[in-house]
Order: sequence, then C-alpha cells, then structure tokens
Amino acid sequence: MKGQEWYQTDDVAEEYDSKRFSRGGQLIDRREKEAVLDAIGPVDDKSVLEVACGTGRFTAMLADRGADIVGLDISGPMLSQGREKAKSAGVDDHVEFMRGDAARLPFPDDHFDTVVAMRFFHLADTPASFLAEMRRVSKHQVFFDTFNRFSLRSLYNWALPMGSRLYSRWEVDRLLDGAGLELAGEAHDFVLPYGFYRKIPNDLASGFRSIDEVVGASPVGDKVASVSYWDTRV
Amino acid sequence: MKEDLMDIICCPLDKHDLDLEVDERDDEEVLAGSLVCTECGESYPIEDGIPNLLPPDMREDAPA
Repeated sequence: MKGQEWYQTDDVAEEYDSKRFSRGGQLIDRREKEAVLDAIGPVDDKSVLEVACGTGRFTAMLADRGADIVGLDISGPMLSQGREKAKSAGVDDHVEFMRGDAARLPFPDDHFDTVVAMRFFHLADTPASFLAEMRRVSKHQVFFDTFNRFSLRSLYNWALPMGSRLYSRWEVDRLLDGAGLELAGEAHDFVLPYGFYRKIPNDLASGFRSIDEVVGASPVGDKVASVSYWDTRV
Repeated sequence: MKEDLMDIICCPLDKHDLDLEVDERDDEEVLAGSLVCTECGESYPIEDGIPNLLPPDMREDAPA
C-alpha cells in the first residue's frame, strides 16, 4: 500500500497533525473523536487496540479517558510523535505504542474488548485480510471508518499522494460478511469532504459545516456523505 | 515499552510467546533490547522504547 511509504518519513510524520488538523481540520478532528467516543465509550478500564494509530490522536484521547490502550502502526516516525503526545498528556502509564503489521498482529485471539482503526481502510490494499485480523484479536467490538465512493471526495481523491481507496455500501457489507462481523451501528457524515475543510480557515469552516449538517440530515444526506463510521460486533 | 506488555504480545508470525532481553532500561520502561520468539527464534528489536513487531519481511533492511 502506498501509505506504507508515504507516512514513514520524518517530515511527513512531524507535519502530520499541523497539516491535517489546524484550520478547518480542527472541526474534522472533533467530529472524528466524537464518532469514536459515541461508538466505543465509556472506555474506562476497557482494553483497546488502535490499528494504524499514526500520531496517536485517538490513542492519547482514549488513554486520557481511562482505556488501557495499545497503539500500533507501521511507521516509526509517526509512533515517536504518538509517544511524545502521550507523555505530554501524562497518560503514558497506560499506553503502549508498537510497530507492527495490521495483517499479522502480535496478539492472541479474542484479546481486546475493542479494536479501532480510523482512516486506515482507505490506505488498505487488501481490506478483507486486515478486517479479519482485527476481528481475530477482538472479543467484542470492531470500529472503523471508510471514505465513500459516491461522494464529493471522488473529485480529488485520485490526486492524493498516499493513494486512497473509496468504498461503496455494497463493498462494506461484503467486507463485514467476509470477516464475520455484525453491524451494530453506523453514522455517515461530511457531504463536504475533509479536503475542503482543510483548505479553509476555522471561522469559515463552521459556516460551511452548518450547511453540511443540514444537507447531511436531509433524506439524501447519508447517500452523499463522504465518510462513514461502522460500529460492528464480533 | 513497559514490562507488563509481555503479558499480551506474541510473535506476529506463529503467535507463540516472546522472551524479553533487556539492553537498556529506565525507571519505568525498557528502552532498548529484543523480543525473541520461544518457538521460531525470530528476534524483534526494541528501539527508543518502541518494540518493532513488524514481521522480518517488512523491516527496512528486508530485501525489496
């Protein structure tokens, strides 16, 4: 997968948070964290694995809320950022970061209460094998997001340097079936895709976000949303 | 990594237990060392406190 190389360099890792989650990106960050907490919270004393944790945005947040959490990523530079983040948040006593392959996880079967992967499946070249492996190490819940094929994201998706895979509803259903996961909840959001919000200042972003939420809540909203969150059970 | 991580990690290849060999530690955690599979003998490095449990074919020094 292309993301495998893209996120390995120190400068991409160091700039990752500031590039993606400043300006309008702050609002994306908030919404994603809310999606994770809605699906898997409360996490107090839960054992959680975050696959493709990157710089540990969610790992640190979940640790802060009491989860006993492992963040796994392929990229050393991204994990170093995560370690720093956990240390400065004072949550490093119940967080571990490690490098690993999402298709060959270094954990026994049915180990974690919850396994989470955010912004991972768009980088996955063999999503079925990754989802099956996440299911293997979870005893209860698997939560992940996808970027949608039939959305405005398809306008710029092809130009992204890390490569990015889009999914239709049908493809997600087939993936869940294949991995033996039951859908327990779903949410769809961002008629205006992430790339749009990243480009505009925060005060403008909130105006567009209001329009986005109105369209999103309309009958066509779910069909044109660019992001979907999938909450599944083993 | 903290030493109690040993309770949950296993070899990514055959899922057998790992042995910890410590080269450097501070008060809280192991900073450098290796994790060796008790079954296949594969060794996984710990660098800057982060265990590298990538299978050998995915490490930087793996032939392309």
